[in-house]
Order: sequence, then structure tokens, then C-alpha cells
Amino acid sequence: MTPTVPELLLGNFLCLMDPPPPESSGDFLQSRIAVTGMIALLCAQEAERGIEARAWENTAIRALLTDAAPTYGAAFAEAATGEDRDLSLTAMDRANAALRRALIDLHIAVETARDATLDDAIRALYVKMADARRLDLPPLPAG
Amino acid sequence: MSLQDQLETYLTRIWAAPARVTDISRIPGGASRETYRFDVEIGGETRALILRRDPVGSLIDTERKLEFLAFRSFHGSGLPVPEAVALEEDGAELERPFFIMGRIDGGKAESPFTVPPYGEHAGAIGEQFYSHLGTIAAADPATLPIAAATPAPALDACWKVALDYWEGVIDADEEHPQPIVRACIRRLRANPPAAAQKLSVVHGDYRTGNFLHDSAGKVIALLDWEMAHIGDPLEDLGWAMEPLWSYGETDRVSGMLPRAEAIAIWEKASGLKVDPAAFAWWELFASVKGQAIWTSSAKEYRAGGLKDPVLGLSGWYTARRQDVILADRLAALESLA
Repeated sequence: MTPTVPELLLGNFLCLMDPPPPESSGDFLQSRIAVTGMIALLCAQEAERGIEARAWENTAIRALLTDAAPTYGAAFAEAATGEDRDLSLTAMDRANAALRRALIDLHIAVETARDATLDDAIRALYVKMADARRLDLPPLPAG
Repeated sequence: MSLQDQLETYLTRIWAAPARVTDISRIPGGASRETYRFDVEIGGETRALILRRDPVGSLIDTERKLEFLAFRSFHGSGLPVPEAVALEEDGAELERPFFIMGRIDGGKAESPFTVPPYGEHAGAIGEQFYSHLGTIAAADPATLPIAAATPAPALDACWKVALDYWEGVIDADEEHPQPIVRACIRRLRANPPAAAQKLSVVHGDYRTGNFLHDSAGKVIALLDWEMAHIGDPLEDLGWAMEPLWSYGETDRVSGMLPRAEAIAIWEKASGLKVDPAAFAWWELFASVKGQAIWTSSAKEYRAGGLKDPVLGLSGWYTARRQDVILADRLAALESLA
């Protein structure tokens, strides 16, 4: 996904490394520091849940593609081959990108075929995929 | 030369009188432009002003002339819109394109990431928020300055122009495949809405966080017109009610009013009717547009050397919230059968 946790944490460092010009040192700097804090907080969630979310999503997409292949073509079964042996976020995202492209192609084919059953299943999968990657920001007090 | 010196040199030149800039400070937010507040002393008077300058990278590619003319279109119309003062598309003394507008003091804008912020004033603020939006929708864009800088689409083409634009943004900036928003785009194309009832100025980013209120229940400034254009007035209404701007509330839109009440206020002010089917299209479109913006911000974050954390947060956390909203909206649509 974009951006990655390493990028975000590096960005937090980089954006505070240079001294700001005088006109950016008041409310603007305070706000910037607050945003970097939010990013750090959310990166902790991603470190905790990110691998599991990706492993679940990749497995779920592979299963869907495999099940659909007899109807929609062997290419979807081929796209579903493989497994997540490298459990780094980078490797899993790389596999996820290929699986998502295949899922998009499958969904287009399903819509073209007016296959309501599989379309419903794909839309239900999207809900789970979005929920699995959700990041939870605690309620912040209004200013 | 400091920004303060650059401003003094510029204002002294265009006003043909010595200008002295004081109390300049950058304002948080406004991710598409650098925004500064400052005072200028000229001819024995002090003017309170805002500078909006193009950054090196931005959340959205916008046309500063459009925003400038949008302010000019509605300032003095009865809506709380600041005065457009000066526009320099080539940057002049400030090196990057910018414009200057009047400053309205004594107000605050609320972050969309806080708890519902309006308290006992939520209803009053909501009434003005949706009434002002209806007033914008009611105006005839052909009679306004903004008409000189943006095309007027055919009534039955508004949806396509808008969808083509934002799908193009995703096509250009996407760095990881997004099946959810792609499916939503296909649904939108397959089921276009009825033609617009009229052409209106579309603010383009009319939402929580883009207006000032006085903490006592009054909306005192409508800001951030950088995505203004001419189109279907339902586009703005859909964006204003996007769940992303509702503080997680499901019983009040924008954290202000029950949905039916907000629509009734808008209808009364605009003189228009909200067709439920067409509006459902524009609500889904609003979520697609949001994801396009967050997709761009992720790309800009990288392109800008990871130095703007607002772009990073938008391209990551906000994008994921938007995916949840999109997936829920898509799942709620009728089955293909």
C-alpha cells in the first residue's frame, strides 16, 4: 500500500529535521508535530496488524480466483498460485498488487456476465478487505 | 530575501506606496497551497490579509485563477466570502504563483479528525452551512467572474466530465491497485444520473473544515475554493454529506444536522429539488473523488521527499477510511440481477 510504514517514519524525521523559517514556527509547526504524532500512533497499529491483514487478504483473493477459474478462465487460477513465504510488508504488498490486479479483471468479467452471485461475493469481500486494513484514530479533542 | 521582504516589495509596487508587512505566520491546513496570515500597513491604515501561494507539491492540482475568481464571484453577494485582492499567476516577487485575499478574523475551522466539535451550536451552524451551499447552487454561473476561467458543460454531461476527471487522477497517480474504487467507478459509469437541473458554481471542497465559525453558532467565512468549477449542484451536496466529514456520526450529516433536515434547508435556499436516485449517484461519486485525492496525496508525498506529513497521512490513513466508506456504499447497491 502507499505510503509504507518505513516511508512514513522516515518522513516524520525528515519533516522535523530542518529548522522552519520564522513565519512557520508557530501554529503551523505545532500542527505539523501533531500530525507526525498521529502518524507514529497509526504506524504502531500497522506494525501490530499489517502482516495479518495482508496475509488474510492475499489468501482470500487467491481462494476467490481459484474458485472462479473454472467459469472465468484458467488465467485466474494461475494468478492465484503462490503463497506468502516472505512475511515482510514489502514482499506481501508486491504479491498483493498482482492479486488485486487479477481481482479487478475478474470483477470486470463477472459484471460483464451479469453474474450476480459472484458479484455479491466480491462486494462482500471488499467490505472485509477495507475493514481488515482499517486504522483507528482515537477521538481527538476539538481545538 | 525573506517572504516578508518579498511581500513588502510586491505590495509596494502594485499599490505604488510604501507597504510594511507585519505579523506574518503560516497557517496549518490548506494542503493544496501554502497559506499565510499577515497584516500590511499602507497609507496609515492596516489591512488584514491572507496569502495563498502554490507549494512545490500539493494535495491536489488546482488552478489558482479559478479560486481567485470564485472568491470574486461571491464576495459581496451576501455570503461570508473574503475579498479577492491580488493574483499573480507567474509568481512575480514571490517566485511561485499566488493570490492575496482579505482575512476574516475571529473564527476557527474544525479538523475532520476530532470529536464532533460544534456542541450546542451544531444545528445553527448546520442550517447556515447548508443554506449557504443552496445559495451558491442558486446563482447563475454565467453572470459571475468565474465563468471566464472554467467551461460550462452541458446539463447531461456534468456527471461524465466530473467522473472522467477524477478517474484520470487515479489513473495517473495510483501506485497500488485499488479494486474497490475501480468497481465503484464502473458502477457509476453503468448507471449515470439524470441530467443536472441547472448549471451551478460547484465549490468543489465544501465540507467540515473549510469554513470558519465564531464558536457562538455563526458561520463567518467560506474558504478553500481551489476546486471550484461549473457543474451539477448535487456534486457539492454529495461532497458536503460525505461520511468522511461527519465525525463518525451516522445520524447527523457533517456532524451538524439530520440528513433530511439538511436536504430541506438546501432545497429551500437553492430552489432546487434533490432527486434521490441522482443524489445517490453523486454521493458515491463523492467517495470516489475523495479516494482520487488521497491517491494523489500519496504520490505527492513521495515526490516531495516525504517532507509533508499531511500528504502522508492523507495518502494512507484517510485513504483507508475512504476505502471502508466506498466498500460499504458498493455493498449497499442493488444486486446485478
